[in-house]
Amino acid sequence: MFEPVMYTGGVYKHGQIAELVEDLGGYILQKNIMQTEVVLLLLVPLEDMAIVEAKTAELLGKLTRAPLTGTEIATVAPTLAYHHLPHLDCDVAEFLRKKGAKTNMVGLARGVGKRICQLSAYERDLINEHDLAVFILGNYEHCIIEKSKKLYEGIEIPIIVTGAPELRTEDVPNATAYVGSFGRILHQMRHSEELRTLDKLADVIGNVLDNVRKEIAKDPPAVAPSRIKKEIEDQVHEIIDSLHPLPITLQINGARVKLPYEEYHEMIENLKFVEGVTLKEVAHVLPSKMRNFILIKAKPKSETGFVI
Amino acid sequence: MEQLETFIVESPDAVGAKTTKILIKDVLADLTLNRVIGRMKVYVDPVQPVFIFTALLRLTTPAIRLKDFAKVDMGALGKDEVKIELQREAFTVKLLNKLWEKYGKENIEQRDKKIIIVKVDPIKELDAMKEFVIDEPRQEVLDRLIDAIALRIIPEGFRVRKHELTASHVMFVASEDTLKPEWIQRGKDMLESLRSEENV
Repeated sequence: MFEPVMYTGGVYKHGQIAELVEDLGGYILQKNIMQTEVVLLLLVPLEDMAIVEAKTAELLGKLTRAPLTGTEIATVAPTLAYHHLPHLDCDVAEFLRKKGAKTNMVGLARGVGKRICQLSAYERDLINEHDLAVFILGNYEHCIIEKSKKLYEGIEIPIIVTGAPELRTEDVPNATAYVGSFGRILHQMRHSEELRTLDKLADVIGNVLDNVRKEIAKDPPAVAPSRIKKEIEDQVHEIIDSLHPLPITLQINGARVKLPYEEYHEMIENLKFVEGVTLKEVAHVLPSKMRNFILIKAKPKSETGFVI
Repeated sequence: MEQLETFIVESPDAVGAKTTKILIKDVLADLTLNRVIGRMKVYVDPVQPVFIFTALLRLTTPAIRLKDFAKVDMGALGKDEVKIELQREAFTVKLLNKLWEKYGKENIEQRDKKIIIVKVDPIKELDAMKEFVIDEPRQEVLDRLIDAIALRIIPEGFRVRKHELTASHVMFVASEDTLKPEWIQRGKDMLESLRSEENV
């Protein structure tokens, strides 16, 4: 079991923490250096947390649990017009990013209105590639409920809905969870009350994802996504030249590799692990709906019969 | 006159009304329209669904004409030209653009920073040129108002719309479905009540 954590501290000697985590068998998922500060997203083996905490204290850094680490979340707005952007959507996306998730913003083509809203097949497939979708809806209870009845048709991942009224989750059809006090806000969310609302959203998402993880743990993936990431980084050198943000984006049971599918899918399918298996034996390598990227979904243990 | 003397958002959905009020405040502040609107009443019913926006406007700045900032006179004796002597330079760029558009670049000559010669028949053009509209701050304010109401305040799904826009008031009725005459009537009644408040 790995604990997802975020390390914030000075650039000086931060390499020591990275090396320690690697030596303990953990993974470094992301490294952001901002002038004199560094933010590391780490997966640390649960039993070794104390050692990492001690090292963090020695380096005068800060270690916080980031439950959204290693997940890819879609924040969905009814459209990309002034009505929804930039404030609320960007605030939500940015906040979840701070908590460790990779967020992608999706603006629907015809997502407006309670009667006329639609989700196209492409949009549905694109959203389904993520671990979780946050639908950012508006001010009125009636509209949120009516819209929820049909907008999420075909979406198989957990759906979090946000809006202004304080509704119970049971009242919002098809939603996994509902978070109130949002609504259509046209200013930056920076008051303490608004930040608490964002915290609440992050907590709710954290809980939902923890449940997903528990569900997956019953039939664990044959290969850990962080392991896939490490092997690709070691064996496919072209990934270093990829200028996309997070060239290998982790998901709960897979990864998105930002290389063209046509050219690289064979190379990635035949990736060798030291255990003597290739990647295609433990995971499905699929074309992604996002550009022409590669989507890797780990096969469950029940399908392969072994875990590496 | 104070700004925003009346600012009411009515709706059967109390939370929705509150958030819509905050939203309208944000938009008006973003587009610096607070001083333009005197009184405002908004009615929203998401079940119907209808959104009615009515407001009384206070547009103060009139159009700026050439005679407001320049002396317009006949040019040199015996020549077909009009001489414009600028008293304020603030509008020079807009003025030149407008003159080029109307008379052609080859007929405009700027001899000095403050003197512009236009080669046209002064007897025909002199009076018209004095009244030449250079800038319309009012139009620009109205454009911003439309931007605020139609593109930011009214819910995006409400695509069937009827509007009335004059220098004194604005009324928008919007819905997802075909507009009903009673909604338009309600908008008119709301405007009427705003007017009666104004006259008290």
